[in-house]
Amino acid sequence: MKPTSYSDRGMVEPTYRGSASVAREVDLMARIANGDRKAFEELYNLYHRRMARFLTRLTHRFDLAEEVINDTFWVVWRKARDFRGDSQPSTWILGIAYRKARNALRSSARFGRQNLEAESLALTSDEPFRTEELRDWLEQALEQLPVEQRLGVELCYELGYSCEEIATIMGCPVNTVKTRLFHARAKLQKLLPQLAGAGVPAPHGAGRQAAQERQS
Amino acid sequence: MMASSSCGHEECWLLLPWLANGRLSHAERAGAEEHLRECAACTQELARQRLMCQVLTEPERVTYAPGPSFRKLMERIDGRAPARPQERPLGRRDAPAGRAVAWRPPGLAWAASFVLAIGLAAFAGTAYRWSLPRYATHTTAAGGTPGVLHIAFDRSLPVGEMEEILRSAGARVVEGPGTTGVFGIAPVTAAARLRADPRVRWVEPLTGTEESQGAQGRRTREP
Repeated sequence: MKPTSYSDRGMVEPTYRGSASVAREVDLMARIANGDRKAFEELYNLYHRRMARFLTRLTHRFDLAEEVINDTFWVVWRKARDFRGDSQPSTWILGIAYRKARNALRSSARFGRQNLEAESLALTSDEPFRTEELRDWLEQALEQLPVEQRLGVELCYELGYSCEEIATIMGCPVNTVKTRLFHARAKLQKLLPQLAGAGVPAPHGAGRQAAQERQS
Repeated sequence: MMASSSCGHEECWLLLPWLANGRLSHAERAGAEEHLRECAACTQELARQRLMCQVLTEPERVTYAPGPSFRKLMERIDGRAPARPQERPLGRRDAPAGRAVAWRPPGLAWAASFVLAIGLAAFAGTAYRWSLPRYATHTTAAGGTPGVLHIAFDRSLPVGEMEEILRSAGARVVEGPGTTGVFGIAPVTAAARLRADPRVRWVEPLTGTEESQGAQGRRTREP
């Protein structure tokens, strides 16, 4: 397994919250492939912290979030030998987690109701702006988004993945990721006056460009 | 010094989330920053995007301890726990993974059932045989001679007294005694007199079919 160099691709080394260095994670993956349980536990602990929050926010249930995490690492343990280093360990692992989370959410009747297009709850407040309050509003607003947009937001803003990495994780083209984020941002601005600020609208051309890029 | 060309407004707008989280390539970053110098809307949007990053990466109010979850996972890996929790109302079951652990080849179960059936059948046969009466042969065909009486005396009777009984009845020992203490005596005409003596347990003549049956011995049931 040889890690792809970020500098070779002109990119910035990721600084995910709670993450180890890429080299460290590659080393852990190699040891896990040989059945090293200590390495498995170390990697699990790193990712549990990283994944628990956004999965719990996504599912509203820690037990389901935990199940997605454990389903993901069940695959990691069994398939570690298949990891060839074509992508970063974190991208590979989050790709598995993404598919597990998406399947869990899609099968949820509760989520199905949330995902209906018609619902559009405007979250307004006359209270002075506070970060903690905005986070609460934002978490409610995120629930209004379709699952793909919501996961894209989480992967970008919370977990700090690049556009290319999110595309790998979600198994879709880069332009699709940009489009999803574009629509998510537009919807969040409608729902959150604090984010809308002075009410600067998204450029009309940006959506069209994203759509055209997605089709190309 | 690398020359940077400003990207268009729409393109910059699409890239702003990754400019905010610091994950743009060097070239994309340079192009976006060039555009930002002259675009107030994108600058304002970048501020909002940074606010989103800040809010969503705030320190957690709830800390999740990975230890218990990891122990559950290891129990599952070691086969000490079900592949998936029993009750999962919100999530769809991952059937292939679940079956991979829960399913067992049927061969062993079939083999165990077969051995158990054979064992039960053998036990039933043995129990049936044990329930039947057991018989033993006390005399042999070789010991039987036509025209001879078989006689059994009381076991506590002294030899001299046996001789006295036979002499008084006009009989004499012609066979035996066998392993069971039965004598063959002659003549058969002494039978009636000998039967009258209380010290004689039984007397049986051997004649015709009776002789044949008698030669195979009287069958007595053992306890």
